[in-house]
Amino acid sequence: MLFSKECRRILTSLTFIIYCFVVGLFFVSQYFEECNGVPYVPDEKISEDHDVIMHGAVDDLATEFFANNYVCYPYGFYKSVRLKEDDSKKVEECLLEVTGLTHDELMDIRDSGEKYYIERGVQETMYYEIGEMPVSDTITYERFCELMGKVDDILGGGSNYKVDDIVFRYSYVPMTDEEIEGVISDLYDKDGVAGGYARLFSDYMGIVLGIMPVFVTAALVSADRRKRVSDLIYTRKISSFKLVFSRYTALVVMMFIPVIFCMIAASIQLIKNFDFSDLALYRMFTLPTFWLLPQIMIVTAVAMIVTEVFSSGIAILLQFAWWFHSNMSNGERLSGSIGKFDLICRHNTIYGRDEFLLSRNDFIFNRVFFFIAAIVITALTAYIFELKRGGRFNGFRLFGKDSIFRHKA
Amino acid sequence: MEKKIEIKNVSKFYGRKQALFDIDLTIEQGMFGLLGRNGAGKTTLMKTLAALHKKKSGEITVCGVPIEKAREIRAMTGYLPQDFSMYPSMKTDEALDYLGALSGIPKADRKKKVTSLLRKVNLIEHRHKKVKELSGGMKRRLGIAQALIHDPTVLIVDEPTAGLDPEERIRFRNLLCEVAEERIVILSTHIVGDIEATCENIAIMDEGRILWKGTVEQLIDNARGHIFTSNVEKRFIPQIKKEYIVTGMLSQNDYTTVRIVSDSEPDLPNTVLTEPDIEGAYMYCLHSSGCDVKGGEE
Ligand SMILES: Nc1ncnc2c1ncn2[C@@H]1O[C@H](COP(=O)(O)OP(=O)(O)OP(=O)(O)O)[C@@H](O)[C@H]1O
Ligand SMILES: [Mg+2]
Repeated sequence: MLFSKECRRILTSLTFIIYCFVVGLFFVSQYFEECNGVPYVPDEKISEDHDVIMHGAVDDLATEFFANNYVCYPYGFYKSVRLKEDDSKKVEECLLEVTGLTHDELMDIRDSGEKYYIERGVQETMYYEIGEMPVSDTITYERFCELMGKVDDILGGGSNYKVDDIVFRYSYVPMTDEEIEGVISDLYDKDGVAGGYARLFSDYMGIVLGIMPVFVTAALVSADRRKRVSDLIYTRKISSFKLVFSRYTALVVMMFIPVIFCMIAASIQLIKNFDFSDLALYRMFTLPTFWLLPQIMIVTAVAMIVTEVFSSGIAILLQFAWWFHSNMSNGERLSGSIGKFDLICRHNTIYGRDEFLLSRNDFIFNRVFFFIAAIVITALTAYIFELKRGGRFNGFRLFGKDSIFRHKA
Repeated sequence: MEKKIEIKNVSKFYGRKQALFDIDLTIEQGMFGLLGRNGAGKTTLMKTLAALHKKKSGEITVCGVPIEKAREIRAMTGYLPQDFSMYPSMKTDEALDYLGALSGIPKADRKKKVTSLLRKVNLIEHRHKKVKELSGGMKRRLGIAQALIHDPTVLIVDEPTAGLDPEERIRFRNLLCEVAEERIVILSTHIVGDIEATCENIAIMDEGRILWKGTVEQLIDNARGHIFTSNVEKRFIPQIKKEYIVTGMLSQNDYTTVRIVSDSEPDLPNTVLTEPDIEGAYMYCLHSSGCDVKGGEE
């Protein structure tokens, strides 16, 4: 069968060996080590208490405003923002409204604070040691969010006040003993332990599986051109559809096998650390499969079509960009909401089942969407392959001899 | 169904550059030779016949099947590219097996086919070698084996003998002749001798056009009366080369016997008219069609 032949080709390729190595290394260093021994006990939780959030955010905003130095991570890159006078004025207006203070009162707070210096990059920045800031009695949470959004816009995005992240950044409060008890019993009773670990497992593996499949795919798909075998393949009888799908399935299956090994290793670790009767071990296989397989599928499908249309280099670049973007747009939010179209879904804790279930529908939509998209894209790849093989389309080359940017004489 | 390829008025462009001009050709069962200089358009024509290229205009039917029906064309065509190469880290038999699978040969037949083909092309003792470990000649033999694996009606081989040693070349030619007994085999080459030994019908191409088509005998007949030999002093050679088409030279002491292709008897000492050989006939054909072939000695 062609499928098994393609599997064999993948198995003997260097990129696949590197893939296995990286996936394994990532699994061991991120998940396996963290989950060694008894689970950590949570002590903080997201309160979603609006007062807590507003106080925390206002304290940070005032500190950064006085120093006129805002730490931002637009697209995950660190950037320290200094505002010009008029922009600074706008931030001040927001700050005044949130705190309910006048300009003079605000300056008094600043001037009574002790100065200290922090080195940020090459230059030192002066900060004021201020106490807890007041929050206006009359401001509503909605208005507060609006103002924070405005501040984030002024700062160019990626600031501490990004509305989506604000809950996750400022609303941590200590848990009571009962709450801790509850969270732990959720892990045992509702998640069968393995369910919680399966989420953490998928969280970590999702990161590495958001990028690594592109290398194996690009290498396999571009091999025909690189080794000048294309014409030989093109003149065979096999239908483009069958060939492309055989290769695609072989890629997905082969790349999923190391993930299965990781699941097995994670399961063995669970058996060692917990009472077997507490474990719903199948969950270490079901959830990660549902979570990670569509991800391998979509990355592979996109890599395949981009390699066919452009080149392997472009496929890798593009996937890097997507991966990077997905990682960074998750930002601080390592657990909780999962977007409908996030490539990488995060839930970086073994606890928080209820929180995870809040975005359950989006999560399911997300994975089913990518699953179907992957198959549609692969069908499209088969069509493009058929065009190429009949000389009706030669792909776009962005660089090199046949570059589309070269002027044709 | 008649075993016949009909090419009518076919033109082909690479971007804005025209590579084939109104090609008209009928190719029947047996060996068909395509001759022409570098860049003449042989590969382009062959790729078009293998459904790898899209023609701009004209009509091609292979055994009654229009070339647009790519799937059917692929099923009955075996193709050996000019720059044949295969995944270098595959073993020889594995490579054949892989390509056989792509040609849709069921697993049960494949094993037998691979072994018999490897035996036929004399690679059986190298079957466990990786493709990258094969010599250039061995690789070509693997190339012909892969083109034959699905028993095609049409075999298209693009310069299959380039880089083979004489012994291997003869084996190769014999193999092709054997194969051609029940198929259409189209062969392109620079080596005129290959054509003489194998092909009955030939076409000569230049700059995307068919200059001449017919049998080898006709080609030779055509040149009769235009091939001469002269016995000249060595020192005149450079000048003679400049003025005439020289297809062969044999040195003896201070004298050299040169073979010359010319419209009329050259004005040289000791000149005699000779029976044309295929090489001379080919040169004459190029020359009489207005190609600049002086100074050439292929
Ligand atoms: N991919 C291509 N893009 C543009 N021009 C091409 C391409 N391939 C071939 N050509 C041009 O088309 C013409 C015919 O080339 P072709 O390869 O068919 O010649 P050939 O007879 O096979 O030559 P050779 O004996 O060197 O193999 C040449 O002028 C060549 O430069
Ligand atoms: Mg050629």
